[in-house]
Amino acid sequence: MTQTHRPAAARTPRRRDRWNATDLGLIAVFAALVAASALIAAIPVGGLGVPITLQTLAVMLTGLALGPGRAFAAVGLYLLLGFAGLPIFSGGRSGLGVLAGPSAGYIIGFLLAATAVGWLTVVVLKWTANRTGKLRAILLFAAAMVSSIIFIHGLGILGMMVNAKLDFSKAFLADLAFYPGDIIKNVLAVSIALALHKAFPDLLLRRIRTVDTRP
Amino acid sequence: MSIIVLDRVSVRVPVDGRPAPKTLLQELSLDLTERRIGVIGANGSGKSTLLRLLNGLVAPSDGTVRVDGADTVRAVREVRRRVGFVFTDPLSQLVMPTGREDVELSLRRSIRNAPERRAHAESVLERFGLLPLADQSIYELSGGERQLLALAAVLAVNPEVLVLDEPSTLLDLRNRELLRRTLAGLRQQVILSTHDLELALDMDRVLVVDAGKVVFDGEPAAAVARYRALSAAALEHAVPEQPWREQA
Amino acid sequence: MSGHGFLLAAYVPGSSLVHRAPLWLKFLLVVGCGMTSFLIADWAVSAAMLVLLCGLFLLSGAGPARLFRAVRPVLPVLVAIGLFQWWQLGAPTAARIVLNVLVCVVAASILTATTPVQALLDGVASLARPFRRFGADPERFALTIAIMLRSIPFVAGAYTDVRDSARARGLERNPRALVLPVFISTVAFARQTGEALAARGLGEPEDPED
Repeated sequence: MTQTHRPAAARTPRRRDRWNATDLGLIAVFAALVAASALIAAIPVGGLGVPITLQTLAVMLTGLALGPGRAFAAVGLYLLLGFAGLPIFSGGRSGLGVLAGPSAGYIIGFLLAATAVGWLTVVVLKWTANRTGKLRAILLFAAAMVSSIIFIHGLGILGMMVNAKLDFSKAFLADLAFYPGDIIKNVLAVSIALALHKAFPDLLLRRIRTVDTRP
Repeated sequence: MSIIVLDRVSVRVPVDGRPAPKTLLQELSLDLTERRIGVIGANGSGKSTLLRLLNGLVAPSDGTVRVDGADTVRAVREVRRRVGFVFTDPLSQLVMPTGREDVELSLRRSIRNAPERRAHAESVLERFGLLPLADQSIYELSGGERQLLALAAVLAVNPEVLVLDEPSTLLDLRNRELLRRTLAGLRQQVILSTHDLELALDMDRVLVVDAGKVVFDGEPAAAVARYRALSAAALEHAVPEQPWREQA
Repeated sequence: MSGHGFLLAAYVPGSSLVHRAPLWLKFLLVVGCGMTSFLIADWAVSAAMLVLLCGLFLLSGAGPARLFRAVRPVLPVLVAIGLFQWWQLGAPTAARIVLNVLVCVVAASILTATTPVQALLDGVASLARPFRRFGADPERFALTIAIMLRSIPFVAGAYTDVRDSARARGLERNPRALVLPVFISTVAFARQTGEALAARGLGEPEDPED
């Protein structure tokens, strides 16, 4: 980076790095994206009818595109409104009642997975700052898989064990039905995220670099 | 009348994969004091960046922009109270589902009391003749009605300066005429960018922007002539190639 | 874009009993209906509740067309889920699940059809006020919710628009080409929205100026 260019934010340091109006817009619209993708083409899968949707794609993409803080806020806002009664959980369900249902673990898992993959994305992007291309894509895919296996599938299985009284092996098998779809969705999410960062370099990439070059 | 002063302003943005940043505006020094100011120039010439500097949507990389002494970076809140901004596409500007609600949203900061806010919004809509459409979905309004509504929502908070980014681009002939009349009747200082040369000729002063620099500043008629010459010259350079011809 | 009124009925001005009911009562109705899937085990009770809520909705004068428009987006999913649960768990359970979803959708629509968004904003902002001591900003929180509600129809509309344009270009078999434009236009929309808010002096953090 040349010394002459310094973004406005760096010239007048703020005490706290708070979200501006664009961040609020991104948080709100990604929350809407997660909600809309829960409602479009949901197909119940497996013995308990936990529906398969583009939602995990939207959730992972939120983390990959926005980073941990804003992804947590976006998915958190979605959950909050769903719990408050807005019919935006998959299949148009809503309310705290879903926490008693078989998909409770998955819904909580979304929040943690989006945050985790957001955090890992920042790490990967810093790490591969000067090497774009394949390595970055592979590492991001690994980050997405690790986050979704630990949080979405892990908590999903736990949720089915607690709420549907399944033993571990049955819950594990029921959860297995989601893996093929999830691998495809994570590949898709990473390729979309990379395209987004190319189209909007200041979405996350430039932020990271701005922080780095700060004296 | 407000006084907007740009002092040696440059705007640069980093480009990924390239060491040197891209310059959008270069060493611009201007005093904007006229009542009606137009900015014309080709797509990508820096018009939009210039307008966005005026209410702090874009911060200068070097130099300062001051509105009546208030710096657009340090006192951005004060600047935005003084300078209203109207975008090309009213749909990206209107945030609420109906006109009434959008005008009320504008007033949320200035009027805390809800019934008072509602009454004031009503009077603003009345002034622009939008009251009959106030409760319709913004998606059911025509393009002209939407642009008028966007204008009303911005003027509701009574700014001193109104900045408009290509306000007539999406309008048909009749609505363009309506916009011209509305703008002519405003007490506010108006600064707008446009491709509509008729609208440019209504102004008191017109800037021609090309490749990040102001290449002409003065009389509207002379500015339009200069812009026409620039466009013709650019086309002259492009003509010998005409890649689409070869494939035909 | 055509998605207005998608999922949640848009506000209809009026002075009916439902319009005049206090906001907290309507909030409570929505939250309460969200709990029904917990509490109600009998499909007949769910059905009775649905009839009651539909009656309440129509009492507001918003009309059956608006009610249908709010429910329509979840219908295909509900049919799929209903059939599947019928096969898996039997008719009464399937009916209860489907009816409970409809109860939630109609309850949320009663709230949105009879309350201007500004009043909702005021309500949410006052609910969030106790959290201010933890650094929350109720106004910005309420504004973010309003933007989210407004954006759901946009995103849903983007999905359908893109499906059409992919079909026109013969790209419908390529999943990336099918969904990428949805996300590009969604991010662009988010940033335009943010910029428009900033330009109007809304949504920026309240920092003391120096």
